[in-house]
Amino acid sequence: MSLRSRFRSLWSGLRSRRFVEQDMIDEFAAHVELRAADLVRQGMTPDEAMRLARLEFGSPEQFRDEGRAARGLRHVDEIRFSWLDFKLGFRMLAKYPVLTLVAGFALSFAIWVGAGAFEVVYQVVNPTVPLPDGERLVTLRNWDVAANNDDPRALRDFADWKKQLKTVEEVGAWRRVDRNLVLADGRAEPVRHVEMSASGFRLARTPALLGRTLIESDEAPDAPDVLVIGHDVWQARFGADSGVIGRRVRLGGTAVEIVGVMPEGFAFPVAHNAWRPFRMDPLDHARREGPPISVFARLVEGSRLKDARLEIALLGQRIAIESPETHEHLRPQVVPYAQSDLPTLASLALLSSNLLLVLLVLLVSANVALLMFARAATREGEIVIRSALGASRRRVVIQLFSEALVLGALAAAAGLAAASAGIRWGLRMVQGELGDLPFWFDSTLSAPTLAYTVVLTLLVAAMTGILPAMKVTRDLAGRLKEASAGGGGVRFGGIWTVIIVAQVAVTVVFPSVAFFVGRDVVKIEEYDLGLDPTEFVTFGLQMDRVEADSSNDAFLARFSRASATLEERLMALPGVRGVTVANRVPRLYHGWNQVEVDGGVVPQDSSRGHRVSSANVDLDYFDVLGTPLLAGRVFHSGDRDADSRSVIVNQPFVDMVFGGRNAIGRRIRYVAREPYNGVDVVLRAQPSLNRLPSPDGPWYDVVGVARDLGTVSGYGRAGIYHPIARGLQYPVSFFVRTAGRPDAMIAEIRSVAATVDPTFRVYRPMTLEDVVNDDLDFYNFWLTLLRAVSAMALLLSLAGIYAVTSYAVSRRTREIGVRVALGASPLQIITAILRRPLLQVCVGIVIGTILTGGLSGAIGIDAVRQRGAVSMLVSVGVVMLYGVVMLGVCLLACIVPTRRALSIQPTDALRAD
Amino acid sequence: MADPILPGTLDLLILKSVSLGRLHGYGVLLRIEQISGGALLIQQGALYPALYRLEHQGLIESEWGTSDNNRRAKFYRLTSPGRKRLGEETASWNRLAQAMARSLATTPQEV
Repeated sequence: MSLRSRFRSLWSGLRSRRFVEQDMIDEFAAHVELRAADLVRQGMTPDEAMRLARLEFGSPEQFRDEGRAARGLRHVDEIRFSWLDFKLGFRMLAKYPVLTLVAGFALSFAIWVGAGAFEVVYQVVNPTVPLPDGERLVTLRNWDVAANNDDPRALRDFADWKKQLKTVEEVGAWRRVDRNLVLADGRAEPVRHVEMSASGFRLARTPALLGRTLIESDEAPDAPDVLVIGHDVWQARFGADSGVIGRRVRLGGTAVEIVGVMPEGFAFPVAHNAWRPFRMDPLDHARREGPPISVFARLVEGSRLKDARLEIALLGQRIAIESPETHEHLRPQVVPYAQSDLPTLASLALLSSNLLLVLLVLLVSANVALLMFARAATREGEIVIRSALGASRRRVVIQLFSEALVLGALAAAAGLAAASAGIRWGLRMVQGELGDLPFWFDSTLSAPTLAYTVVLTLLVAAMTGILPAMKVTRDLAGRLKEASAGGGGVRFGGIWTVIIVAQVAVTVVFPSVAFFVGRDVVKIEEYDLGLDPTEFVTFGLQMDRVEADSSNDAFLARFSRASATLEERLMALPGVRGVTVANRVPRLYHGWNQVEVDGGVVPQDSSRGHRVSSANVDLDYFDVLGTPLLAGRVFHSGDRDADSRSVIVNQPFVDMVFGGRNAIGRRIRYVAREPYNGVDVVLRAQPSLNRLPSPDGPWYDVVGVARDLGTVSGYGRAGIYHPIARGLQYPVSFFVRTAGRPDAMIAEIRSVAATVDPTFRVYRPMTLEDVVNDDLDFYNFWLTLLRAVSAMALLLSLAGIYAVTSYAVSRRTREIGVRVALGASPLQIITAILRRPLLQVCVGIVIGTILTGGLSGAIGIDAVRQRGAVSMLVSVGVVMLYGVVMLGVCLLACIVPTRRALSIQPTDALRAD
Repeated sequence: MADPILPGTLDLLILKSVSLGRLHGYGVLLRIEQISGGALLIQQGALYPALYRLEHQGLIESEWGTSDNNRRAKFYRLTSPGRKRLGEETASWNRLAQAMARSLATTPQEV
């Protein structure tokens, strides 16, 4: 007999129960009629023949059931959910509110994490463009096979692609040009501006909210300069004024007229909010020259990606033959528009990281299963009676599964809602840190995530329903005979012990990690710079490149001159007490390099050198910040000379590298950084100066010691200050010390910058305090997450221990009664009850402590890794202390069951039997 | 007087019947009656679970058609795995029957 035919017949039976049954009924009816017809031919009356034929046939219902069984459908038929099961499930939720709350909370948390992470990974690995026909949008690009990267200087090729390709349409180009949007009143702020072919709007199939989008005629060289703005620019800069169309503004140095406003959420091509026509003439540039551009298109209706790939490859070959000197190694490609740039292997790795979270879901489910099992065990009597009344084991399991499904479904709904909110929150957080994300990342949950959640929910229900049910219904027939109140046959096996131990271990790990991360946050919060951060306004300064900047050096020279003027003009403002410039902002991440000391000690943790951060600061940096040096001298103008080697180090540097002894006059130098994950990092010590001829740089003389001013590198606070090389440093951060209200200064800074040079772009002007708060937000995001996980682990541990102890007491009622009757003391009873849970918790704590040690080393928690033996002891102490707390919690969970055990009267216990 | 058939032989009889030509359920019943010379009795409805079992195993296959007297009926046909199975079962049955016959024909002198 073939497996295929079995599967086919089973499938058809499963697919349409009604159809299969009707088929049988029809067939039986045909049989009876054929038989009756025969009987009529033998001389019977039709009625009599029909009656006899039916009689001879027998019971159709019986044969129908046998028929289904013969088709292998019996097992399926027995899995029948009734509304009653679900009703009972809801009733159970109400009857055990604490269990419902604990289990529901735990499961929604697990599903929240599971589904949320899946959605994020799915969006990263498999992005989809949320535009009409988004799946047909493509990017055209030149791939340099020699350099193994994308070559964006494709202006000439763009013209060829646009003219010759037949499998794609609406071919257009764009390039990002950062500019200030300057209003008539002089207010200037950067916008995410792009020069884009008009076909981009047709490609996106999105009409303008007000006015019009760009059109082809805007691209003519003599056409008026027009601008389409995004919804957020319209709201923030124009107060959502409906009369904005026709208004004239400046974009950098160019006067433009606003002709349209795009609807909310529109950010094509990536994350943009201002669009101007793409006017570059490809014929002005030779092949592989001109500015970098990106090219988009849409597959023509009916043509497939592989058709377009073939066509562009053929075209590419022709161009390569015509211009081998530039195009020998270039292979034009067509790729899906939002294709992830991750290599396949990385995508797989990311996707498989979900498996870890499935494990988390399973771990949580196992705990909930424990609770459900304890509940099911208290219902043992009910289950035994149901079984005595004829319910099969399968039926009882289905009932308990339905109950778990009700709980799981409610938890899944809550978890999904939380996942959606969490992703919104996370996106905001990431945008705050990394800038705007491409428009195709959004917080709506995708269909695959919903499907994944359904699978997770079924998994959860199976784990929390079927597993305890299977255990509690084992050998029902046997227990029917010996059912007794105090001595049921259900016992906790080794698997539950493992779950509880694992649980306690996790409970130790998460709060410990949360504690150390929390300590880092507190450190940042309490970081005393010795200055008042609310007095300072800081901003990043960049500049538009214009045609007059013939070379990079010319651009830097112009930037240097203009920024010096800006510094003077800001100084002249009333209420400004000082202006200085640096390439880093105190208390934000500085990056790190490794240094060695001439005749100094080698650090404990690295054979290469001490890990320290560095910053380039203006000569008056310490004066303006109002933080006099602790020793030595500040920079003077002679330190700017190319051959000067003066540096100032901070106090943590002195403590770490020189052991707190005098540093003035000592020499230090950068060494090649040690391999990171096996990859030797190319040395870029003293960023942007590029004065280092060899892997190990020149020696620097320490001329001063500053206080700790927030040179954060991830390896402590030791830092080195170099004099900033004006004319080489781009971009820079400005620090304006104010006497009055710094927030009032922000608008003024923008307008001064715009008048000094309209090509200046001022980024994120805010007080020094807000800068740090922004950074803290990100830390706090992780901290909140960790705390939530910790609370969850603690709650589950409590619940698990409670369930086991409570169940153990109820199972041992008779034994305890007998012990009391034989004269056992309360202490002996307590010992008997607590021995097992206490042992489990102790083992869990030991494993958890070991894990915490390993984990903190692996994820790089400052406190544990860096601070030497004392700090290590403190850390171990914290974990141990936490272990003691856990033991206390365990005892707490045991209190109620123990009191119940102690109150057992021998007579009651024995009577209950 | 017809005998009730031995357990396990119904499947073989059905396979044999449909091996002689396409038949509907009632036709299978008549054919068994015919080829056994009216010696075997099958409860009519009991035929169907057996038919479904054989179909589930892929030994026969079915399709709806029209009977001689223009009644819509479901017809069964032997598949090639069914034909193979029929051969095996027939051989096995014959061996058993011969062994039984030999055993039952044994006289005291032959012992």
